[in-house]
Amino acid sequence: MPWASKDTLERIKHSFRQINIDIQPHFVCINVEDTKDITNILKHLKDVEDFRYFIDFHVIDFPKEKDRFLGQYILVNPYTFERLAVKVWFKNNKLPTAKEIFAGAKWAEREAYDMFGVEFEGHEDVKRMFMWEDYKYFPLRKDFPLGGIPEQKLPSLTEVLEGNTMPPSHDYDIMHTYVPTIKEIEKTEKSRITKRGQLVLNWGPLHPGTHGTMWFLFDLEGEHIIQTDVILGQLHRGMEKIAENIHYFQFLPYTDRMDYLSAVCNELSYVQAVEKLANIEVPLKARYIRTMFAELQRINSHLLWLGTGALDLGALTVFLYAFREREKIMDIIEGNAGFRLTSAFLRIGGVHYDLAKGTLEVAKYFVKDFYSKLKEYHGLLTRNRIWLKRTKDVGVITQEDVYQYGLTGPVARGSGVAYDMRKIDPYAAYDLVDFDIPVGDIGDVYDRYLVRMEEMYQSARIVEQCIEALEKMPENEPYVNKKHPAVIPPKEDVFNDLEDMVKSFRIVVHGENMPKGEVYSSGENPRGELGFYIYSIGKSSPYRLRIRSCSFYNLSVFPKVIEKHTISDAVALLGSIDPVVGETDR
Amino acid sequence: MASSINGNGFITTTVDELLSWGRRNALWPVTIGLACCAIEMMHAAASRFDIDRLGMIFRASPRQADVLIVAGTVVNKVAPMLKLIWDQMPEPKWCISMGGCASAGGPFPTYSTLQGVDRIIPVDVYIPGCPPTPQGLIFGLLELQRKIREKKVTRYEKAFEEFKKDLSPELLSGIGV
Ligand code: SF4
Repeated sequence: MPWASKDTLERIKHSFRQINIDIQPHFVCINVEDTKDITNILKHLKDVEDFRYFIDFHVIDFPKEKDRFLGQYILVNPYTFERLAVKVWFKNNKLPTAKEIFAGAKWAEREAYDMFGVEFEGHEDVKRMFMWEDYKYFPLRKDFPLGGIPEQKLPSLTEVLEGNTMPPSHDYDIMHTYVPTIKEIEKTEKSRITKRGQLVLNWGPLHPGTHGTMWFLFDLEGEHIIQTDVILGQLHRGMEKIAENIHYFQFLPYTDRMDYLSAVCNELSYVQAVEKLANIEVPLKARYIRTMFAELQRINSHLLWLGTGALDLGALTVFLYAFREREKIMDIIEGNAGFRLTSAFLRIGGVHYDLAKGTLEVAKYFVKDFYSKLKEYHGLLTRNRIWLKRTKDVGVITQEDVYQYGLTGPVARGSGVAYDMRKIDPYAAYDLVDFDIPVGDIGDVYDRYLVRMEEMYQSARIVEQCIEALEKMPENEPYVNKKHPAVIPPKEDVFNDLEDMVKSFRIVVHGENMPKGEVYSSGENPRGELGFYIYSIGKSSPYRLRIRSCSFYNLSVFPKVIEKHTISDAVALLGSIDPVVGETDR
Repeated sequence: MASSINGNGFITTTVDELLSWGRRNALWPVTIGLACCAIEMMHAAASRFDIDRLGMIFRASPRQADVLIVAGTVVNKVAPMLKLIWDQMPEPKWCISMGGCASAGGPFPTYSTLQGVDRIIPVDVYIPGCPPTPQGLIFGLLELQRKIREKKVTRYEKAFEEFKKDLSPELLSGIGV
């Protein structure tokens, strides 16, 4: 993606003198000197410069600085696709809220409060986003340990029941971080909405229809929803904190576990960010392999959406059909990566293994077969009268909502915003293959359904082209750029070559220091733009790694859209937004 | 069934064994997916692996179920809710901890993650893996069947007593205790 051009920056500088411009190879930002100006600047950027697409807001903690917390907005101009970051220091832990300017900032600010304990003036609704209401700490602050503070005795009940064995049958520490009681959780729930209707209905957290562990509160008037809030954090595992504590290459398997339905795509976004930071070239073969697997994974993920989305609306057949194809894709991935779901197949600088023998033939056969299978799904749903009734004109998301809430992926494209990182900022081999981006026009559930169905078709096309290109390549093309000092050499070389062995040992044990600087880089996940912002101070682990999660922002529009709809529409709408809890909560 | 069939078409067995036979061949798990492992659990229930064959049908209500498959990371925030569900399940009941996270915190030794679900629920079978394959889950379920056959019913009153301590009286009456 092009960052804001010199002209644009100049114009902005012209209107506001109190800003500094910072241009780095993969990051362009303006530093706002006076916290008071931020509202005006954001308004100006939105209305005059057309940076109206809200992408992200996050905070970085610098305990040694005077003002400690640094806030950062990332905005995009949806017409020229320029991207710009805006940095501003918190004054006395306070920043004026941006939620009136960008509605998506509401949740982002809640998250910032939860993780850093910073406040937002004018935001009357700052609540704990992921932790519960009485939680005492702010985990992403630099002085908070990764493992938390053990303060409660929690022995293993299995040990207690089976009789204490010495030594314990598995290793554990009796002291544990604080586990809340049901009462505390209820308090969190009560604090969320003030009842205006007849009854507050809890949907989730452990309900099969909520795609994991989301927790919805519906304030109901009859069957109609008058207000909603979503309680997240039932899968908050502290990914961003983990990233700060381990080496760059070690974080790769964690990305798999964020959006666990699209593991390869997550990895691709992550390794890309690190490669940009360290300036690593990737061999062509690896780029094609990455593209092929990312697209297979996209089909895989969309199939799960199709299966479960239809299942939620009562169509069990589609679920079984979709999982049939999923199994085939997982077999291809397993054959190459050794893992079905959390594949950890990519590496910084390339891919882990060369293609396994026979992969291309299998993939070719799969794609050939997949077109007919796609027709089958269309036959089951596209003209199905019940399906149409449940999805047409339900949950309409407007273009303005898309920009305001920072919606990306099929949700944005369903509303007619052709925002796709694969085209705007081609990575891997996306600039070498031919594909189209489908867009919807009214933005209802049905449009999003059609967009995703078409995307599967396009992905299959991309896979075909990748197979073609890979078939033409000679056998022993390199699939990893092992010359770069930060890249771990492939396993077979490690076992056969002393130099490579030493290098691998060095990186695995000590990590490799990355250059100083900042990078924001994103990739197109099946659910939207997954971005990684890395703030590096030259160590082997990032100072701050921010994950710009697509599911999180996509979900944030839910309370607005569902208003005045019935509960049954909530299921359809949620299915069409298709969030994954692993990523909303991280 | 460990019993003999005599020539007249009769089977002699003990009541205990008959019950255990019935129980172990109709294990109904609760549909609760917590994280990545839940996807593999879904796969175990879907087209290829189809655990219906083993008499296992996923039930959405804990009151109709007798196995809790903890599939995924249990974070501190969700722990009390999971415990509530466990206590809503009627006896006899069993718990399977699926995957590294549920068994011992897995790759997340962090401030927000419960380091092993056995700290709130006694576990019968641990399945390693991240995630375990559906085959792994099926193996675990078969192991559970074996355990039921060999050990008969294990009761968890002790754990339950402990749990009741931190429930409010209204809630207790709510779940019928
Ligand atoms: S064990 Fe692995 S796959 Fe399972 S929930 Fe934990 S991280 Fe996810």
